[in-house]
Amino acid sequence: MSRRSAIRNNLCPIRDLALNVEPLRAPTAAERKTLLRALTNSAIGAGAFLLTCMGLHAILPFPAIDDGVSQKLRFFAAHKDEFDTLFIGSSRVYFQISPAIFDGVMREEGIPTRSFNFGIGGMFLPESAYVLEQLLTTKPRNLRWVFIEYDELQTKWAFENQTSRRALYWADWKRTSLLLRKLTDVGIDAVWLPSLKKLRDIILCRKGEANTYKQLIFHTAQFEKNFINVARGADILDYFWGRDISKWDAKYLGAAGDGYIPKTGGMSASQAAAYERALGLAMGTKPPTAFISPYTVEAYRQCAQKVRAIGAKPILLVMPSATQFNIAYGDNNARPPGVIMAFNNPRAYPNLYRSSARRDREHLTKSGAEEFTRIMAVNFAQLIQAGEVK
Amino acid sequence: MSFVEFRFLWFFLLLFIVYWTMRDNTARKVWLLLCSYVFYAAWNWKFTFLLLGSTTVDYIVGRMLARCKSRGWRRLWIATSVCANLGVLGFFKYFNFFVSSASGFLAWLGLPTSVSTLNIILPVGISFYTFHSMSYTIDVYRGRQRAISNFADLALFISFFPPLVAGPIVRAVNFLPQLVSARKFSDVDVRGAVILFLAGFIKKACIADGVAPIADRYFAHPANFTPRSAWIGVLFYAIQIYCDFSGYTDMAIAAARLLGYQLPNNFRFPYFAQNVSDFWRRWHISLSSWLRDYLYIPLGGNRGSRWFVYRNIMITMLLGGLWHGAAWTFVIWGALHGIALLVHREWTRLTASLEWATRAMRWLAWPITVYLVCVAWIFFRAHDLSRAGTILKQFVLFRGSGNEHFHRWMLLVVAALAFIHWLNSRRWFAEPWRQWPAPVFAAAYGCTVAVVLLFVPPHYTPFIYFQF
Repeated sequence: MSRRSAIRNNLCPIRDLALNVEPLRAPTAAERKTLLRALTNSAIGAGAFLLTCMGLHAILPFPAIDDGVSQKLRFFAAHKDEFDTLFIGSSRVYFQISPAIFDGVMREEGIPTRSFNFGIGGMFLPESAYVLEQLLTTKPRNLRWVFIEYDELQTKWAFENQTSRRALYWADWKRTSLLLRKLTDVGIDAVWLPSLKKLRDIILCRKGEANTYKQLIFHTAQFEKNFINVARGADILDYFWGRDISKWDAKYLGAAGDGYIPKTGGMSASQAAAYERALGLAMGTKPPTAFISPYTVEAYRQCAQKVRAIGAKPILLVMPSATQFNIAYGDNNARPPGVIMAFNNPRAYPNLYRSSARRDREHLTKSGAEEFTRIMAVNFAQLIQAGEVK
Repeated sequence: MSFVEFRFLWFFLLLFIVYWTMRDNTARKVWLLLCSYVFYAAWNWKFTFLLLGSTTVDYIVGRMLARCKSRGWRRLWIATSVCANLGVLGFFKYFNFFVSSASGFLAWLGLPTSVSTLNIILPVGISFYTFHSMSYTIDVYRGRQRAISNFADLALFISFFPPLVAGPIVRAVNFLPQLVSARKFSDVDVRGAVILFLAGFIKKACIADGVAPIADRYFAHPANFTPRSAWIGVLFYAIQIYCDFSGYTDMAIAAARLLGYQLPNNFRFPYFAQNVSDFWRRWHISLSSWLRDYLYIPLGGNRGSRWFVYRNIMITMLLGGLWHGAAWTFVIWGALHGIALLVHREWTRLTASLEWATRAMRWLAWPITVYLVCVAWIFFRAHDLSRAGTILKQFVLFRGSGNEHFHRWMLLVVAALAFIHWLNSRRWFAEPWRQWPAPVFAAAYGCTVAVVLLFVPPHYTPFIYFQF
């Protein structure tokens, strides 16, 4: 053998690979039997696993979720038949709708109500839809109106919150499928037909889809964890040992016990100046162009269906937030599933957009919140009197 | 990608099904090699080139060692391999440590310097696969291992994904012969492997990740806690590091077994050791045996005078500590174990004929060993020497002015886990499930996994040894 051949033989791994491949042969009967047995046992194991997960999911107590979710759920369940009006949404609801003021104005209008504020900081769709379903499963007998904050379906979760239980407990298939549909833009039909171009952009992180892939993985993993009941052991221990969370009730239910927490404070002079400038610019631009997505409308349609099923009426509430100027709705392709009360128009509601009435772009001051509640109650009473809401 | 993540489950399912569907050994090895690189790339694909480069260097060195008969040339080649491997390890892991330590030393001497450290990412598993590949070239040099002509086999040995990122450290002499012939599925102890994987998962995901918040809370601000809480914090860390590391090892061994490969055992109930020597025969066995065979024995081992042996022990333990991390706390941890080994040797020598000492140590050996190991863990875990000092005062001297405390029932948790561990050492959980019919075992396994997942924390805690 020449020196060159010897070197090639010694140092060329591909050649070695190519020389050593054995010819294919058909599986023997014993191998087929082993494979069949392995597949059968694997299927039995997988089936037992899935059934146990589903069974555990059905019998486990509701998870103890902080930030007021469990506290308010527990309170509402204990007092469900006392309320005929419910407000549900994020901190824009939590800190800005006073049930006492709302009930007072409605009483003056001749429509007495007893309302409860189920706002939770950072609670947007789809979490709010899940919580609403939990509230409605308690079957409140006297509930007549449910005000649901109307905003786009949120796909993003702050990185520091992604491992919290707050990001996990609502991730059932109903919520997750909508999120996945929105991220891949497959539409809301029964059959999922992803666009290959969109999938390519997502996988290659092109054209603004850099985070979409990560969000798809995140939400899929959350659904998996929720389905297989990750971390639910603590709920069993809490259920039997009775973790006392009642001491937090006042913190989340407010002094009046109606779920409303007024927030003090306002903008500094420089913040107010910057806000006024931004507001002026926003009002100088063209009318709203960012339509609520069909996935969002589908989520609200599901909420509205649940609300109507118990005999109540859904009202969709667009809050007076400076970040929601450009939100539009009512596009014929995605009609909202209920009456909309929109307050995202600074021209129609200038008092709610004065810098003196605001703590920041999202939230009103205490006096601003009280004024907003009064306006909303008056508008709602007018809607009832006009027959648009029964 | 780690063994407790969902994507590993899908990854392994696909790998397993395709692997056992193939009947050709070469095709299986190529598939395994590809999957191992994909596994590593899931963390950072750029460092797969480093892995490939390290493999290539050692393949060439191995081939040249096989060809060269001259002692001088063989020494040169083995030196090339060792320098290349340790150079890469040294750069990625220790460059900033040495630079900042040198800078601090010069400043202490009154010679302030302005040196900048580099923003170096530590490739995951570099400490482990470097030792894997060095074991190959050193054994070829010593004549214990034949040089591999098939590059893919060597690449698979070094990159084989189960032990790649956190051990056990695999020797070429143990693994390469397994690649020669095709594995048979009928030879695989599937039940044993899946049970071992589940046991490892419980140790890591339920126990280690469950106690981690307590240990982390304590070690972050030890001065805020009472001395009793110091004991709880340190004991919880001792539980965490054992369950985390041995849990990973169990899962790695189980995954390899499911593919037909045997990996060495890495733990043998270390917290039941009767002395520090015994501890190192039970803790991270693959590392201690690697250090013994490739460092301690070449330094001279037990041959020579007592002080010569002690020198060898201290060098081995100091470097063993440094291997774990680029920080003085790890060096001190290694030094403490080294000193404990020396003290044990001296004690054994001095009390060999003293019956009272032998009888006393029968009762005292175990608690003293556990205590010393826990003291050493303080340095292993502490953020810096200052905090280590605070913890030491609380743990050893019961001195501390903090007010925060952990509930006493946490000591019951320690006792309960220790009892379960003792039952495991007596093989209480070992065999009954082997007698069950396969469908019953499969159903019971599925149900058990579903129940175990209830106790997994929602947050993912990285494996401790990934940082090494």
